[in-house]
Amino acid sequence: MIVTLLTSVLIISAIAASLAAVLAVAEAFLRNYGPCKITINDEKEITIDGGASLLSSLIEQKIFIPSACGGRGTCGLCKLKVLEGAGPLLPTEEPYLDEKERADNVRLSCQVKVRNDLKIKIPEELFAIREYTARCAEIKDLTYDIKLFRFELIDPAEIKYTPGKYVQLLTPVYEKSSEEVYRAYSVASDPAKKNIIDLIIRLVPGGICTTYCFEYLKVGDEIRMNGPYGEFRLTDTDAEMVWVAGGSGMAPFVSILHEMRNSNIQRKTTYYFGANKAEELFLTEQIKQFEKDLPNFKFVPVVSDHGTGSNWNGETGLVTQAVERNVKNAGDCEGYLCGSPGMIDAAIEVLKKLGMDEKKIYYDKFA
Amino acid sequence: MKKSPDTNKLEEILKSPAFSATGFMGADTRNLAEIIDADMAEVARLGYTPHQIAERMQQITDKAKSALGNWIKIDDTHSAMITEVKGRIPCPWPHAGNFAKRVTTLKDMQTGRQIHFSDLNIHLVAEHNFFEGRGSPFRIDPKEIVEMLF
Repeated sequence: MIVTLLTSVLIISAIAASLAAVLAVAEAFLRNYGPCKITINDEKEITIDGGASLLSSLIEQKIFIPSACGGRGTCGLCKLKVLEGAGPLLPTEEPYLDEKERADNVRLSCQVKVRNDLKIKIPEELFAIREYTARCAEIKDLTYDIKLFRFELIDPAEIKYTPGKYVQLLTPVYEKSSEEVYRAYSVASDPAKKNIIDLIIRLVPGGICTTYCFEYLKVGDEIRMNGPYGEFRLTDTDAEMVWVAGGSGMAPFVSILHEMRNSNIQRKTTYYFGANKAEELFLTEQIKQFEKDLPNFKFVPVVSDHGTGSNWNGETGLVTQAVERNVKNAGDCEGYLCGSPGMIDAAIEVLKKLGMDEKKIYYDKFA
Repeated sequence: MKKSPDTNKLEEILKSPAFSATGFMGADTRNLAEIIDADMAEVARLGYTPHQIAERMQQITDKAKSALGNWIKIDDTHSAMITEVKGRIPCPWPHAGNFAKRVTTLKDMQTGRQIHFSDLNIHLVAEHNFFEGRGSPFRIDPKEIVEMLF
């Protein structure tokens, strides 16, 4: 009886194992779409092995498309036009595409699988994006949860960018992440120093990349990043500017201030920067130096928790409240915002209420 | 107990980095039903329901959102702060819905003890009674959160 039972179990197990093997082999062959041609902007043609996402296929060819979520379809950044061959729009793409984008064949490249030849259109500036290896040269505590990371570029040894851009930092596989992940951070360095990239990073509880940077990355370690990306930059007008930022949103404004000093840009600018406590304000000496060097630039730190007995005598409350109290001529100004999505949404509402044209409000929602 | 193909598929998704780079199961060797059953038993032992827990978490997140990234007093002993990053994360269960990548940090001002939970955590607790597996970065221990929330 027992022998019969064991024999039956063995036979069933062998059949199941054989079926699994057949399925694995079939999957390997069925998912092999063979070589697929991607035509880019009617000019460039690349041939890749089909089966992977369009985003990862392009990255393999060193064509970098912005993406802040590692291709999970959760950031909506990797949009590009797929003119032919993409197949129907997927439910995972729908929340990120408006009617006009859908009509224009815009797709999330991380969700489009390359199964056949494709025709795509991507902005020319993305061809200028490079991958860099760099060495961590300095890690500096700015607050209890914000650090400045300085990277010296190794290969290529120099980067050219307009201030306001961001780079994507690659988090390698480490104890807390079984796969490589890219995250986007605004550049905080002087664009004239072409072999340096400074990033100001705030620790995100449970965040893969920020945990790596805060707990694992050491001075001397080599990292990879790609960039520069983004459209956040100073306009070419002479309009007065209102800047609003909080936390690591400081980063692009430091880079822009370097550029203003380097190029002697004397636009009237008021920079409202929000912090929880006075002791959580950072880079204040550097910003004060910019105030001396740029006579039309004014820094207004805003502290929300000034506490009893504090000797803080500057602006208090939320950064948006300070803007509301102080900005009198918003209709003539341009607004520049960087910080958390919540802060940016609140700042947009305040600036609109003060009379600023929404088209003149520029922002980067990367925290 | 034998698991349905749908449960198997869901468990694979929860273990994989498909939605979150670290997955939702952490290093937990228990299956999904065992994790949920154990946490539900603990929640019941503590005298609460997942819905009550999620509702309180949501109230705290809503209040903290108004502080735009600064700490805000929730009650006499607790303060909270929001950290946000760009993007949204879908629920790994097979239904529509995605959530802001927003983490609420709740701090006991007397002891300094802190817990973190995301908008997705609130949904997972309310709708799926799932507190995540042990070792997951966003695992919420029922006892710990009940002590902090109520």
